[in-house]
Amino acid sequence: MEKQRIELTGKDQWLVFKRLLSYLLPHKKMIALAMGLLVLTVIGDVLGPIIIKTLLDDYLTPGTFPTSPIVGLASAYVFIQVSNVIISYFQLLKFQEAALKIIQQLRIDVFTKVQNLGMRYFDRTPAGSIVSRVTNDTEAIKEMFVSVLIGFLQSAFLVVGVYIAMFILNVRLALITMLMLPILGWIIYLYRKYSSIFYQDLRERLSQLNAKLSESVQGMGMVQAFGQEARLRDEFNDINDQHWQAGKRNIKIDGLLLRPAIDLVYALALIIVLSYFGITSFSNTVEVGVIYAFVTYIDRFFEPIKQVMQRLSIFQQAIVAASRVFALLDEKDLVPAQIGTAGNISNGEIEFRNVTFSYDGQTDVLKNISFTAKPGETVALVGHTGSGKSSIINLLMRFYEFKEGDIRIDGESVKDYADAELRNKIGLVLQDPFLFYGTIESNIRLHNAEMTDEEVRAAAEFVQADKFITKLPDGYLQKVTERGSTFSSGQRQLVAFARTMAADPKILVLDEATANIDTETEVAIQQSLERMRIGRTTIAIAHRLSTIQDANLILVLHHGEIVERGTHQELLAHRGLYHKMYLLQNGIVETVK
Amino acid sequence: MRVFLELGWFFKERKKQYAIGISILLIVAFLGVIPPRIIGLVVDEISRGTLSAAFLWKWLGVFAAAAISTYILRYIWRQFIFGSAIILARDLREKLFRHFTRMSPSFYQKNRVGDLMAHATNDLQAVQQTAGAGVLTLVDSIATGGFVIAAMALTISWKLTLIVLLPMPVMAYMTNYYGKLMHERFHGAQAAFSGLNDKTQESISGMKVIKTFGQEKEDIEDFKRLSSDVVNENIKVARVDSLFDPTISAIIGVCYLLTIGFGSYFVMGGEMTIGDLVAFTAYLGLLVWPMLAFGWLFNIVERGRASYDRIRALLAQPAEIDDQEDAIDRQPSGDIQFALEKFQFTGDERAALHDIHFTIKQGETLGIAGKTGSGKSAILRLLLREFDDYEGTVMFDGVSINSYKKQRLREAIGYVPQDHFLFSTTVGGNIAFARPNASIEEIHEAAKLAHIHDDILNFPLGYDTVVGERGVSLSGGQKQRISIARALMMQPELLILDDSLSAVDAKTEEAILESLKKTRTGETTIITSHRLSAIQHAHQIVVMHEGTVAEIGTHESLMNRKGRYFEMYELQQLEALVEMGGEA
Repeated sequence: MEKQRIELTGKDQWLVFKRLLSYLLPHKKMIALAMGLLVLTVIGDVLGPIIIKTLLDDYLTPGTFPTSPIVGLASAYVFIQVSNVIISYFQLLKFQEAALKIIQQLRIDVFTKVQNLGMRYFDRTPAGSIVSRVTNDTEAIKEMFVSVLIGFLQSAFLVVGVYIAMFILNVRLALITMLMLPILGWIIYLYRKYSSIFYQDLRERLSQLNAKLSESVQGMGMVQAFGQEARLRDEFNDINDQHWQAGKRNIKIDGLLLRPAIDLVYALALIIVLSYFGITSFSNTVEVGVIYAFVTYIDRFFEPIKQVMQRLSIFQQAIVAASRVFALLDEKDLVPAQIGTAGNISNGEIEFRNVTFSYDGQTDVLKNISFTAKPGETVALVGHTGSGKSSIINLLMRFYEFKEGDIRIDGESVKDYADAELRNKIGLVLQDPFLFYGTIESNIRLHNAEMTDEEVRAAAEFVQADKFITKLPDGYLQKVTERGSTFSSGQRQLVAFARTMAADPKILVLDEATANIDTETEVAIQQSLERMRIGRTTIAIAHRLSTIQDANLILVLHHGEIVERGTHQELLAHRGLYHKMYLLQNGIVETVK
Repeated sequence: MRVFLELGWFFKERKKQYAIGISILLIVAFLGVIPPRIIGLVVDEISRGTLSAAFLWKWLGVFAAAAISTYILRYIWRQFIFGSAIILARDLREKLFRHFTRMSPSFYQKNRVGDLMAHATNDLQAVQQTAGAGVLTLVDSIATGGFVIAAMALTISWKLTLIVLLPMPVMAYMTNYYGKLMHERFHGAQAAFSGLNDKTQESISGMKVIKTFGQEKEDIEDFKRLSSDVVNENIKVARVDSLFDPTISAIIGVCYLLTIGFGSYFVMGGEMTIGDLVAFTAYLGLLVWPMLAFGWLFNIVERGRASYDRIRALLAQPAEIDDQEDAIDRQPSGDIQFALEKFQFTGDERAALHDIHFTIKQGETLGIAGKTGSGKSAILRLLLREFDDYEGTVMFDGVSINSYKKQRLREAIGYVPQDHFLFSTTVGGNIAFARPNASIEEIHEAAKLAHIHDDILNFPLGYDTVVGERGVSLSGGQKQRISIARALMMQPELLILDDSLSAVDAKTEEAILESLKKTRTGETTIITSHRLSAIQHAHQIVVMHEGTVAEIGTHESLMNRKGRYFEMYELQQLEALVEMGGEA
């Protein structure tokens, strides 16, 4: 459910609509074809009654039945009907196809945009609402294209065709029936005006109702603990009642202005036609066929209008959905830009130089961080939650842009490397290993099609993941579903290790990679980590201090600052914060104070 | 169609409205057959050249009267039938909500919020459709179809009617067949769509991994492939969907051809007039809707039945915990005594609690310590009477808590839960939740006791600031303190703090405990806490381990014992030191 309401003025709606129409351009050929077919079906629709009119006036009224003209008329009628049926099938299909392709393009655009957004955007936007933009909102727009716009086009063409035919048959009457257009326009205007108010109101009440319901269900424990059930019921019934009242108002508006009103105008048009011909017949002869044709045309004319009216609310919803989609497309929070002037990363030396960073521009989460990790060395980051460990990794990985200070790899700023180079040479292992839908193999290989099966296996063997993988019923082709929930956290982490090793990075970044593992795989994970680090510069956030005792440098962070630095032994000897953390983790209490 | 029987109680309840609505529908259907007849009459007079002004105006007057009455009557039946349908939705929703308020926590563990919401929204919608559009479609299609066919056969020509109606069943059959095809293909389209949905969800959740491996382009390619699937599956649907209109117009075309052909023949033979023929073609147009409506009706009814079944099943679930007969209608006040042999959560083999014996004297404070999962919260949940099925007794004021009226027992307890749930109303409204009529002074007093008053004054609108997404976002500690103020508003006989000071800093914790001690002299307090500082001043401390009491005593006696409590305490001192950056 969308919490924030979007208020759109008429002008905004028009702008959104225009922007939506711009998506038609790439498909103009297909749309032109569909429109061509539509013109043909309209011609067919208009010609049918004229044939019957000819039959009525030229043959039936005088009572003469020469065979060949009758057969001619009949075959013409059948031919028109049959071709009309076939053409209209393809016309309907083409329009739907075009609408589907348009929405596909829109979806791809939105998804591409999402891939280019910075982590900052994902921090402040719930995943569910981004998914909604990509799928549900675009689906609502599709509904509009399929059921409103196409219907609208069909009606417009039909109205034109019917009028042309009426003008050919009888200019005066055609002019008189033109009177219906402003009346219909006025009804549609009124309906749009009031239904948008009442319909909006109904939807608003419904979302209040749902919000109240969902909150009550979630907080029912509290409600019951405080014995407030009766009061809550009253409150709910109040909203329920208001929603019902709004529903009643909508039924009234629909009853006044929707189908019943359109049918009334239809009756009016028929009465006008009959009186016109009736009055004319007092002085002149009137051809019955023309009456038939007019009656039929008026019927044809109203059918699509009724359909479009029923679907106007879809239009409204689609415009709101589209405005949300466009807001995402216009989002400015992009991934940090890479200049790409630097060459390749060959040694893997990392240097943080006076880096200060803040997520919100107000509180600094990193203050003047400087350290160097020489090629092949391991630097460990330790500290309490919120001390800034993860931020260091976030900056190194270029998830967030920083302004103060610099991070250098092999002497060049990370900002200067090409994106691909950074991604190829830096491997990150997250605390919560993320597995994609697919197989174990596809999760190690990812989208890298050039990787051979041997390389995949070698990577798995290197991190000792092959032991559990080969025991699976389908081995490397074992299906991974629901984020890999069928595997233990340790097994998932091993697959994530293999994935990183398969890419063979120069720099290894471990974000609490050993935090959530089960005891069964712990040994394998520890051994693998050791092997992975050989020959690679490693930056590791460690949850368990025991895993980083052999690090070349340990940085102890507190409130965004490095408060202690040194090797494990040096820091223990220092008897500062690291020492206390170490005691805490080992459950040694007697030496405190 | 069985759902109409199942909803019979409602139709009976509103039989007047439905009777009137349906009668009006019948009248409207009847009025619908008048205009084509008039067109035919006028055409006949014109073709014979005998049309008189009086005749024309008389019949056009009838026409206009029929049209205007139709307009008015249609407006009216909508009020009666659709108006009743939304009353059904409203009443069912109210019933559901009432039912929800009576259900115990285990119900909410079994049913996810999303599912309950779906029942109260989508399912109700479907039932409403059945009682509104369903009734309309059933009555209208039969009435309109019947009247039109009668008018064609009785007033024009039964022979022509028979001939022309022949292709109509083909149309009903074809559209039905397409409907089935659509249904199948729609599943495919739906599956492709949800595949795309899952893909998007996964990409967003795994965004860091994708970025780390620089797989953005490849992921977009993957998305393109899936979005093509969606297009292809939907085109399959469109192929069937696009058949509907042409098929209908093809069959109508055949009917027209038959009408004109045989009609002309009958006109020539003098069995019919030209006006009859024109009227007949107009009737033909009116028959399309009833034919299509039947397929549509089955759809509505099918969905309505499934939805109504789900709603009834939900309403049939009994409340697990109810008052006993002749339950005590008195608010308990006195000592609390636990004599629990065994308790296990439904569906769990292991005992969540066993062999727990202790007494809390009225006016004293009990502290409960222990790790996550040691059974601290379970003890409290038994006290709140969320469960009845345990071996042993829990006595309050000398009587088993099961003997009290639930309402009265809860009036005695002020509960501050772990997951401090606040409602999206004002801060003041949240504090006064249990006593909506409390004075502002009382609210301020409770807030001061919970040491949240000053924070609240700094909110944009003070006590009128709305909590949650639409208002101020609160820190965990602020939420906890508002929850405490909310419980204090009740001035409860028993105050329960379930690890509710975990997010406030040590100084505030101390201040809150101090103010509780001062104001709550005659009443009982139970505090569970992960952090021992919150309970070390309690009169009695229970240390829980694996569902039972491991140690019991005062802070001093437990420290002297050098057991679990002592160990926990020492470790926490160290932890506090680390949190402060190593300097005490």
